[in-house]
Amino acid sequence: MSDETRRADDTGTVDETGTGLAGGDLLTRWRSVKERESFVILGTVVAVLLFPYLFARAPVVSEILQGYQSLAELMLIWGIFVIGFDLLHGYTGLLSFGHAAFWGGGAYAAGVFAIHVSGSPIAMILVGTTFAVLLAWVLGFLSLRRGGIYFAILTLAFAQMLFYVALQPLSNLTGGDNGLGIGGSTIEPLLGFIPLDAGVPVITMFVDTWMYMLIGIAMVVTVAFAYRVLNSPYGMVFRAIRENEQRAEFVGLNVWRYKLMSFVLSGAIAGLAGSLFAIQQARVPVESLFWTTSGEVVIMSVIGGVGSLFGGPIGAALYLYISNIVQGMSEVVLFTQIDKLFPGAQAVVLPEWASPAPYWHLILGLLFVLVVVFIPRGGIWGGLQSIGSRIGSRFGGDR
Amino acid sequence: MASTDATESEERTTDASDTDRSEATAPPEEYDGPLLQTDGLVKRFGGLTATDDVNLDIEQGERVSLIGPNGAGKSTIINLITRRLDPTEGDIRFKGQSILGLNPHEVVQRGMSKSFQQASIFPTLTVRQNARVAALAAEHGSFRFNFFRHRDRFSEVEGVARETLEAVGLWDQRESPAEDLPYGDKRRLEIGIALAADPDMLLMDEPTAGMSPEETHATVDLIEEVKEERGLTFLLVEHDMEIVFRVSDRIVVLNRGSVIAEGPPEEIRENPDVQDAYLGGVEL
Repeated sequence: MSDETRRADDTGTVDETGTGLAGGDLLTRWRSVKERESFVILGTVVAVLLFPYLFARAPVVSEILQGYQSLAELMLIWGIFVIGFDLLHGYTGLLSFGHAAFWGGGAYAAGVFAIHVSGSPIAMILVGTTFAVLLAWVLGFLSLRRGGIYFAILTLAFAQMLFYVALQPLSNLTGGDNGLGIGGSTIEPLLGFIPLDAGVPVITMFVDTWMYMLIGIAMVVTVAFAYRVLNSPYGMVFRAIRENEQRAEFVGLNVWRYKLMSFVLSGAIAGLAGSLFAIQQARVPVESLFWTTSGEVVIMSVIGGVGSLFGGPIGAALYLYISNIVQGMSEVVLFTQIDKLFPGAQAVVLPEWASPAPYWHLILGLLFVLVVVFIPRGGIWGGLQSIGSRIGSRFGGDR
Repeated sequence: MASTDATESEERTTDASDTDRSEATAPPEEYDGPLLQTDGLVKRFGGLTATDDVNLDIEQGERVSLIGPNGAGKSTIINLITRRLDPTEGDIRFKGQSILGLNPHEVVQRGMSKSFQQASIFPTLTVRQNARVAALAAEHGSFRFNFFRHRDRFSEVEGVARETLEAVGLWDQRESPAEDLPYGDKRRLEIGIALAADPDMLLMDEPTAGMSPEETHATVDLIEEVKEERGLTFLLVEHDMEIVFRVSDRIVVLNRGSVIAEGPPEEIRENPDVQDAYLGGVEL
């Protein structure tokens, strides 16, 4: 956005202070590259490729983290969901407490379609996402008539309504309280011939299965899509509406329609995530429509950083890490592989009372409180960014 | 001010989801009657008549000021004209066509822009982005289905934004967040936003309220500049008599919702009714 001026500023100060011309130059170039679309997408691709390796398979790191493949998949799926949520909340300033409707709605639509029509994963994703788009259009039309807390309550009410509809009246279709069991065998291979649990050739070390490949591609597409939207006129209008709705209306913008578009785009991404969730789990729990799901996505978004594209996935990953791995840490082993570095050294096993497992809710709550108190605006991602720019200014002079 | 408070409870009733009629029934380009006309405009809030049979005719290129004591109904008239309120009776015509039934953004799209009493800007966006939003609305209309095109492709929007910021003298501060500007500059930006929409008519609701004398001075200069360069039609609501007498071609005086006097500044200055109602008999 502000490339030219920043570049001008940078070179100015570098010349003035005369510190490390080459370093300053590189840094300047880095800053201008960082904002380009292709770089953002490439960065996402690299992150998506490295993540499951580092988390679930790399020596030392993965052992310390105790990560595993299916959790990595789940983190990405929820990450997509949070990106969709944040498009509405972080950028347009509309806080929805009913995004479970699109996540669960997409998941159920994909699941029901798989059982009754076709189990092709691509078709399931298309059906789930389309269903979420239509649902968002209707719910947005109804709930966007009110702003602020009334909007939040309306979305919550509609989502809860869907939950109860799925629970009872439609239990023949949805499986009611038990959730919808799709079954792994119902889901067909990708494109008809690639089983989702088969290994990916060549890059097996990074991407274990085609399931992860599918989810990873969805993540990259989501980031590219959201980035595009945020850098289109819409992105600007969304922010303008968040900042001052009345002024936006009085420059001649049809605020209502833009809000509806934001709601629909957000719902579409949430529906995509929901469909992936149905495929990955091979079932749809009825809780996916429950208000706790709507609450979880709000918490993830706040932890990761409201109004930032990459904050969402980070928040999702942290939340799921604490609720899955920390919850299961009955025994804490420090320096697990220290004997590889220093032969003869022993790993340390902490006594049972030091195990964080029983306190995982508390840890999550503390994390949430810390973020809200210390980095309320940008969350973890915003915190990382400000550290990054501080380091940058250390080496490259001003800003 | 009592009337403005009441506006909140009685929002206009137009359905926000209505399709844009502004494109369909856009007025012909070569219209040269009065730009804005109000015809027997009445607005009642319960028992209170905030606007009582007001007939305004504003010619193209004319600078009209609306003055009157507190509670005279100035804000109500502005809110009626900008379609934030529905009139109880009467009609409002802009460029010869009735605008009743239009949404506020549609009225803006037809060429009537408004600057607010407070600095109504987009605080965390940069100064340039503020102008861009307004330029975008002017260039693209109220809504377009272009969420997948990169905004760097819209160079005409960028051009309008730049022109506007240069006109209000904020081009040098274009990269700073709007909220960091001093108050006077925020108001200038606000006027800039209103101008970037490329209006035929500009409604200004107390453009110098809360400004220091220097800021007031700069703002009046800006208004005169714009008036000369763009030949804009103005409707100004203002308390500061110095500005009113300096800027306007014609002054309309309101008291208790109805027009009590109307005419060029010199005439208004002499008018005993005005002195009575507005100044409590004090010699001007």
